Amino acid sequence: MSMQETTQKSALLKRNKKFALLAPGVIWMMLFLVVPLCMMIYVSFWTQTTFSISSDLTLKSWKTFFASETYFGALIRTIRLWLIVLFLTFIIGYPAALFIGQFVRNKTTQTVLLVACVIPFWTSFLIRVLAWRPMLGKEGAINIVLQKFGLIDAPIEVLLFTELSVVIGMVQIYVVFMVGPIAFMLARIDQSLIEAARDLGASSWTIFRKIIFPLSLPGVVVGAIFVSVMVLGEFATASALSGRKVNLLGNIIVTQVGSLKWAFAAVIGVVLTAVMAVVITLLLRVVDLRKEL
Amino acid sequence: MMELEGLTKFYGETCALRGVSLTIEDDEYLTLLGPSGSGKSTLLRLIAGLEQPDSGSIRLNGEDIASLPPHRRGLGIVQQNYALFPHMTVFENVAFGLRWREENPVTEEAEITKRVDAMLDLVGLSGFENRGVGQISGGQKQRVSLARTLVTEPRVCLLDEPLGALDANLRERMTLELRRIRDTLGVTFMHVTGNEHEALGMGDRMIVLDGGAAVMIAPPEQVFDRPQTVRVAQVLNAYNILQGRVHEGRFDHAGSMLPLPPNSEGAMHYAIRFDAATLVPPDDPTALIRATFITSEFTGGGVTYFLRGPDGVFEVERHLSRADPQVYKGGQELGISWAATDALAFDSDGELIVSSNMRGAA
Repeated sequence: MSMQETTQKSALLKRNKKFALLAPGVIWMMLFLVVPLCMMIYVSFWTQTTFSISSDLTLKSWKTFFASETYFGALIRTIRLWLIVLFLTFIIGYPAALFIGQFVRNKTTQTVLLVACVIPFWTSFLIRVLAWRPMLGKEGAINIVLQKFGLIDAPIEVLLFTELSVVIGMVQIYVVFMVGPIAFMLARIDQSLIEAARDLGASSWTIFRKIIFPLSLPGVVVGAIFVSVMVLGEFATASALSGRKVNLLGNIIVTQVGSLKWAFAAVIGVVLTAVMAVVITLLLRVVDLRKEL
Repeated sequence: MMELEGLTKFYGETCALRGVSLTIEDDEYLTLLGPSGSGKSTLLRLIAGLEQPDSGSIRLNGEDIASLPPHRRGLGIVQQNYALFPHMTVFENVAFGLRWREENPVTEEAEITKRVDAMLDLVGLSGFENRGVGQISGGQKQRVSLARTLVTEPRVCLLDEPLGALDANLRERMTLELRRIRDTLGVTFMHVTGNEHEALGMGDRMIVLDGGAAVMIAPPEQVFDRPQTVRVAQVLNAYNILQGRVHEGRFDHAGSMLPLPPNSEGAMHYAIRFDAATLVPPDDPTALIRATFITSEFTGGGVTYFLRGPDGVFEVERHLSRADPQVYKGGQELGISWAATDALAFDSDGELIVSSNMRGAA
């Protein structure tokens, strides 16, 4: 190797040294995300028989998925529940975030309140979900209290082991992921903007509509992405609070993997991944995060 | 006409404003000068209604507006950081007040466009309508902020250090622009600044605020020539202020006997303008005090010399149109001389002692 080549090579190395910082992340993600993802797509075309699986390519699993009432229904149900949970976490989370981000002016108090939001996460996911049972059950806390006060005669049965209980459980768990990013964006809004708008004669509602909400939109989008990704892949809350009556895509994957139906599980995995990709793309369309953050 | 009377504001234990009273005329350029912490922003925020006074009243044309919310006061405030809405274009920013104000908003799009365009034209920003506010320079942001306020036709426009964030070149241009815009619209400007040049150069009248009190309200020439108190002279940053006492008709400052203007028996403070003093050789008969040369600063049109006097730093300004710059060495002994008629004397309360033969005296 000539002298010149060596210097050229070392210059090239020097210029690109910064990319070395990416290496651990890239390698990790390649091994444990990209490769498995490709594998999943590949396996979804394998031939599944009752007890075994072979690598002969076929569309059979895909056809079954879209033809079956159960499986396609689960996709629709997943999307419906996701939309309901997303809507509720937004409706419940935004006012809380507005309070923390705009009306609490003390940074320390803001932090304390945000930390308070994640206190439920100090217990395990399973306990949080299962704790809803004695709360919502036929002889659960809510029914007992309502009956004691004479507000109802018979216990409300719809509270547990229904879609409603799944929604209640999910909203409770995921609302904090909506509050956090929105409160963060709201806290960043310069108070002088609001003063300026007020000075220009705008009412509080107009200021909210025209200044505060648009400026908090990136937080809403980030929060919505968090909630969406988690809700779309959910299975634990659904199985624990619906008594296995509400089957989401996640639940079906669990069942299929449990019965060693790898090809079919892979199909649902691919569908779920595609749904998430579409959802995230649409959410990112709402706001240009690159510009806003 | 707007009258402020006895405006007082506390932040906890600290008194930010103590009983400020003043009258703001229609169609005038008022500057408010004060060092940082003197309460000038507080005063502005009280007038604008962004904060409530603890006591005192604000009347606009006889009507008490102290309890009115900001937008009912017919005032506009241009904030120090411009406070432009980052998610809107220049046009939308300027149109905001017209379009979204609670009381009689302009609903006709053509009318909004007409008025916004006229205002952008006045501030020299035609053609920038569709720019995002992140795509314009500091000076342009300043103009957008001004246009946004002026388009709503306030009776008084409050400007909080409007030139503070601009570079010197731009500041000079905006100084002229602000005066031109004000003259065109005939609206009263109240311009808050910590810069004495700005306050002196721009205002029809100026208010000097110190320690939360209005210590002088007068036309700039008068403030500059005859500062009412020794604090005003200090804030102006144009006076050497010497301490001492009167002894046998002269002012004894650390042993130097300085000539006094007539009738200034009780003088405790003595002030001489930077540009009224001249440097002379130390043994010159006109030398009033002796000082050691420290350094000099070339300011383009002149030179400012810094000397160590008997009691603190003494500044002498020399305008180059009058003479060539003199070069001195650090540590060199020099004498400083001035005319007795240029000196100002202040009594023990810091009040100016008015003497009959004083320059510019009424």
